[in-house]
Amino acid sequence: MKTKKYRILLLSLLCCLLILSCEDFVEIDPPNFKIVSQTVFENDETAISAVTGIYNELINSDFSNGYISSITVLAGMSPDIFEIRSETDNRYGPFQQNQISPAESPDASANYNLWSSAYGIIYMANSVLEGLEHSTTITDDIREMLMGQALFIRSFTYFYLTNLYGDVPLVLTTDFHQNASASRNASSEVLEQIVNDLNLALTRLEGTDAYKDSERFNVNRYVVLAFTARVYLYQQNWQKASELSSQVISQTSMYEILEDLDQVFLANSREAIWQLSPIGKGNILTYTWEGYVFRGNNSSPFKLSDDFVASLQEKDKRRTHWIGYNSSKNFFYPHKYKDKMSINHITEYSMVLRLSEQYLIRAEANAQQGKISEGIADLDKIRQRANLDLIADTNPGIGKEELLNAIMAERKLELFSEWGHRWFDLKRTGKASEVLASIKPLWQDTDVLFPIPGEDRAKNSNLSQNDGY
Amino acid sequence: MKNNHVNTCIRKIAIPIFILAYSFYLPLFAHSPMGTLGISPPYEPIQQDYLIQGIVTDIDSPLPGVNILIKGTARGTLSDMEGAYGLRVSSTDTLVFSYVGYRTLTIAVHGLKKLDVILQSEATQLQEVEVNAGYYTVKDKERTGSISKINGKEIELQPIVSPLEALQGRMAGVEVIQQNGIPGSAPIIRIRGQNSLRSEGNYPLYIIDGVPIISTPVTGGSNMFSNGIDPLSSLNLANIESIEVLKDADATAIYGSRGANGVVLITTKKGKGYNRKTELEAHLYSGLGTVSNKMDLVNTQQYISIRKAALENDGREPNEIADYDLLLWNQNGYTDWQEVLFGGTSTISDFNVSASGGNSTTSFRLGGSFHNEGTVFPGDNGYQKVTGGLQLNHTSEDKRLNLDFTLNYGVDRIDVMANSSNLIRTAISLPPNAPHVYNEDGSLNWEDWTYSAWDNPLAAVLHRTSTDQGNSIIANLGLSIHLFKGLTFRTNMGYTNLQRDYKALLSKDQYSPEIREGANHIAVVTQRNRSSWILEPQLVYTKKIGKGTLDGLLGSTFQQNENKNLNVSGAGFVTESLMGDLSAAKAISVDNNDQIKYKYNAIFARLGYNFEHKYFINLTGRRDGSSRFGPNKRFANFWAIGGSWIFSEENFIKKHLPFLSFGKLRGSYGITGNDQIADYGYLDAYEATPGPNGLYPTQLTNPDYSWEENKKLEAAIELGFIEDRINLGLSWYRNRSSNQLVGFPLPTITGFSSVQANLPATVQNMGWEIELTSLNVNSNNFRWQTFFNLTVPNNKLLNFPNIDLTSYANTYRVGYPLNISLLYQYEGVDPETGLYRVMDVNEDGRYDYEDRTVIKNTGSRYFGGLNNNLTYKGLEFQFLLQFVKHEGYMNYMGLPGQKNTQTADFYKAWQNGNNPNIQKASETYNASIAHSLFFLSEQSLADASFIRLKTLGLSYALPEVPLQKIGLRSCKLFLQGQNLITLTGYNGFNVEFPGGNNIPALRTVTLGAQFNF
Repeated sequence: MKTKKYRILLLSLLCCLLILSCEDFVEIDPPNFKIVSQTVFENDETAISAVTGIYNELINSDFSNGYISSITVLAGMSPDIFEIRSETDNRYGPFQQNQISPAESPDASANYNLWSSAYGIIYMANSVLEGLEHSTTITDDIREMLMGQALFIRSFTYFYLTNLYGDVPLVLTTDFHQNASASRNASSEVLEQIVNDLNLALTRLEGTDAYKDSERFNVNRYVVLAFTARVYLYQQNWQKASELSSQVISQTSMYEILEDLDQVFLANSREAIWQLSPIGKGNILTYTWEGYVFRGNNSSPFKLSDDFVASLQEKDKRRTHWIGYNSSKNFFYPHKYKDKMSINHITEYSMVLRLSEQYLIRAEANAQQGKISEGIADLDKIRQRANLDLIADTNPGIGKEELLNAIMAERKLELFSEWGHRWFDLKRTGKASEVLASIKPLWQDTDVLFPIPGEDRAKNSNLSQNDGY
Repeated sequence: MKNNHVNTCIRKIAIPIFILAYSFYLPLFAHSPMGTLGISPPYEPIQQDYLIQGIVTDIDSPLPGVNILIKGTARGTLSDMEGAYGLRVSSTDTLVFSYVGYRTLTIAVHGLKKLDVILQSEATQLQEVEVNAGYYTVKDKERTGSISKINGKEIELQPIVSPLEALQGRMAGVEVIQQNGIPGSAPIIRIRGQNSLRSEGNYPLYIIDGVPIISTPVTGGSNMFSNGIDPLSSLNLANIESIEVLKDADATAIYGSRGANGVVLITTKKGKGYNRKTELEAHLYSGLGTVSNKMDLVNTQQYISIRKAALENDGREPNEIADYDLLLWNQNGYTDWQEVLFGGTSTISDFNVSASGGNSTTSFRLGGSFHNEGTVFPGDNGYQKVTGGLQLNHTSEDKRLNLDFTLNYGVDRIDVMANSSNLIRTAISLPPNAPHVYNEDGSLNWEDWTYSAWDNPLAAVLHRTSTDQGNSIIANLGLSIHLFKGLTFRTNMGYTNLQRDYKALLSKDQYSPEIREGANHIAVVTQRNRSSWILEPQLVYTKKIGKGTLDGLLGSTFQQNENKNLNVSGAGFVTESLMGDLSAAKAISVDNNDQIKYKYNAIFARLGYNFEHKYFINLTGRRDGSSRFGPNKRFANFWAIGGSWIFSEENFIKKHLPFLSFGKLRGSYGITGNDQIADYGYLDAYEATPGPNGLYPTQLTNPDYSWEENKKLEAAIELGFIEDRINLGLSWYRNRSSNQLVGFPLPTITGFSSVQANLPATVQNMGWEIELTSLNVNSNNFRWQTFFNLTVPNNKLLNFPNIDLTSYANTYRVGYPLNISLLYQYEGVDPETGLYRVMDVNEDGRYDYEDRTVIKNTGSRYFGGLNNNLTYKGLEFQFLLQFVKHEGYMNYMGLPGQKNTQTADFYKAWQNGNNPNIQKASETYNASIAHSLFFLSEQSLADASFIRLKTLGLSYALPEVPLQKIGLRSCKLFLQGQNLITLTGYNGFNVEFPGGNNIPALRTVTLGAQFNF
């Protein structure tokens, strides 16, 4: 009797054990390497990290890293500065010949990488903006600063997108259900958003004059001012462009044109307004991608065109300091960055905005407004450093058009191999066809815009293609 | 030279092994509780008669009337109604148990007082075999599900590393592809085809002695392993009792979602039973292996003639920069690069020893093994494995409590080149007159290579080395308590841990001297740890109801897996010799340090009813929960039903179809889930950026996705003829997998290219499986058995709404199998340009996916095997032919005319440029475009069907009598061959994995001996 009771008791206990296989068992905590998004924006420290994350990623992100799918390399190939070294190069060749495929070829995948990485950064900025907006626990000052920085980075990215592709989808949220079928917004609309956001960023960054930790990869108010000056220049808002660039140039305690050309691209150089640090790569390789991609070794896929090199005068310091020569294969390559292979030893940061451009912006804006002498002064600032004759000495009576042409020529020599300046200059001044048709046999007027990548068009039928593709 | 070397190797290995064997042997038996082996047992000294007693049973019931004889005498007895017998014997006697319809069993009594034996039915042997169905076992004859089985005996002597390789050609419905001939490589295994659109969602469940093993290959080491390292590599093959593969809904339902892609059950050997004298088994083999296939390539003269033709066609004079192969390299030099880079001979040796025995309540088995294998690559590479295993079974005196403990421990170590996957590619592209790899003084030759596009290929082999060491432990404790009549409580407690440590040393000596200065020594360390535990309490109930038997099972599973990864690299070591020490690196970076958890929980119940051993029904229901889904989507219910009818038991069949000795109809249907997706996917979270102090979102999150659904349907017939000497099984199956969990493709303007979601796509796997066994001859001395299996699979993407908008648009086509290639239509050589032309279908002047309208199935059309076993007295001969019918890519050869070698077939067809159907030799941009389009056209596929002599075994059992004089119970000498002959029309490299740049499976021959003491 007793044993039977005992057995039944045991049995019911076992049954309970079996059935009690509680549903809580399969709940798991987030793993050691993930922080739930909501938590990220609950305190200042992690919220700051989310923005630091964007700075870090800018040097890993294809469009901005200066590497093989970056604006520096791909938009660098499009105008009249670079040439490919192998006739059969099917990655850079089509960019150089302005014959980019929308899909299924090495050049198309480069174009796709550029495009999609830019939207990756935009997603990160949107995610930060949304997180900060919804957070109730974050310090107000920090919120202002971080939102200002995120707005800037988003505008910065859109500026390049619209300049490369024309109309682009204006994605301002992280909601993929909605964004997956977004169609292209007119470039004017995109630009309007850019200008509004930049002005908003300026307000939010009002108290942020100094670089956080004295590191010029952090965004302060002058970074935004300098970039907004460029946006106004592209919009031909000469007055604003000159006004904002003046604000940057006048910060002499922070910025100056460095006499020694070998120092310009060093980390936190005083000519730098905004740089990206190789520390964001997160590995032991501490060189910039520009330093690596333009190292000019025998297998380098591209070279500076002989015409471009010839356009630099013998005495031009930029020729000796910023251009390298590979004697075994007999070609020239950009040599602004000296560090090509360092390990655990950062000397250079990747330059995004520098003071020299601000002088050229103001020179152009002033010249356009008929302020010729001011224009000459700013242009000569750059020429002087390059060891060239000053316009003020050789041609003080220069006319407006001639001065503008001189500024344009100077921009080409000064800013080559940096962020596609030449390509965008030719486009914004409407001179792309005029200049390029003669040297690019396959040139068509529609080549001023890159094709919208076929991969994304296949997944979103609302994305239209640019003309000519 | 080579042979001498090999001989020395064998001697070097064999002698210590023998010494080792004997040193194992001695202490082991000194401590054995069971006494000892051999002819003169130390504590059974009196050779006088005593009474031995025991019970004779078949698998489930006592056998009355069994004839029991003392060998060599006329003395004997018969078992009584309860199967019991008693006989006076002397301790050195051997008993022979025989019974009509059962296999005769011969056992030495070794002084035992109690000897229970189980006789195996002879005629219906195959159907009486018990098969492991996971949580329960079932007689093969009575099973309702689809289960294939191979016995350990068939694989224990095969010189292979992964147990899965042994399944090749032996099981219907199980496709095993050995992508790679490097020992330890994970083969691809698919049970009844690919169910998921995600390639990583198709792994079957591996269960070793009740413990689930994470079945994804271990990646993150050297990329020489195309598919990663097999998580089962450190198992001891000789320790496997059987491998069962569960295929249909009925069989897999008990494993629920984990078994959605089928289940591979590996059971290790147990002690031979209670009341057994200690027995010792050992085997030893060694042999040689080489790559089973090389490509037939051009010689130097042929190469040069193609090159010269190209220069002529292109109107170019050779110059030293572009045409160093014609101007600077030796025009008569010849190197067989395949021979240099993977033409070596691997030496294989293996030693295995095990002991088993038991008293009336405890039995044990203890085993150990050592396996050593070289590689075919140059340099100091190889594979080693050491294992140890213990099985303990204990039963209480009243047999109410049973304890089974299993422990398998294995260590293996693979030394190969680190990340040199281009090695094979290099071997089939280097011009035959490329410079020597060594200088005359034995140092690496760099000078002659400097002006070429290549580096000395040996540099990367010799100076990029790696070691991958695995440590695996699999432990399980099974406990069962008989509560009261018919009811048993059981629980299964398992733990497994697999640690793999990879270390790669990338010396800067791999670079040519001129750039070496600026380079660094780099060391990479990757540690991967997988551990899991499982707890499975169950109640088992059996009751006779009316004329039938009811079996019930109620159980639950708690399982947790944990994956840890650490990846550290260090650079800038002062000297090469310090590279092993990361702390000596100038710079260290941690690239990955994650820790991932997975939890799984289920309640399941099974109800089986067996009416008069004629009608069977099996119901399974379960509720599964997985941590891979968001909080509201974790649990789902699944079920299956299976039934069978042994119609040959019906009187009208017996009467009308007397030739039919067995006949069964079987069918099943069920629904199960699949959760093989990344962990934490539903979590909206940030992760650390590679750079310091940063956080970023790494994926889009969708908390709402849920289980994939697999619906499996099967119908089968099993027939036995001529007293079951011929058995035929024919199954038809249809699995439909829907609600596919895939990265739903998104345009990257959303920030990412996909988001995890359930797609309303359906993949169907339908097919036929035939298994035929036949006992062709069964005379006293000669026995010949044939096993044949054939699978005709048919995989199809049934529907996929809006596939065109997804990234799968160019991968899959609705109405076609998942394994397809989308190719251009080939139009022949353009007579004007002399170049290949493919069709621009939409005539838009571009070649893209819209023009790739030729759809070719690259999956298997059918596959199978034919195994034959012939025994004549002590002589046994076995051979297995494996066959596969499929199409596959040819190996990509570079542009004809450029500086890369070509196949001999190409040269023959080319006819010095006079064949109008072959592209002219040319190096122009257009030629290169045309050539690459050609390799994306229908011409790039070839029939890669093959018949392979997969295994061949010849063994001879030495006569027992003389052996016994030297203390051996038996001794068998054997010869094993693997992949000896492959018949195929395919002229590529690896016929199993066509187009891949991996070395094919090795051809090996081993010779050895097996002993029983």
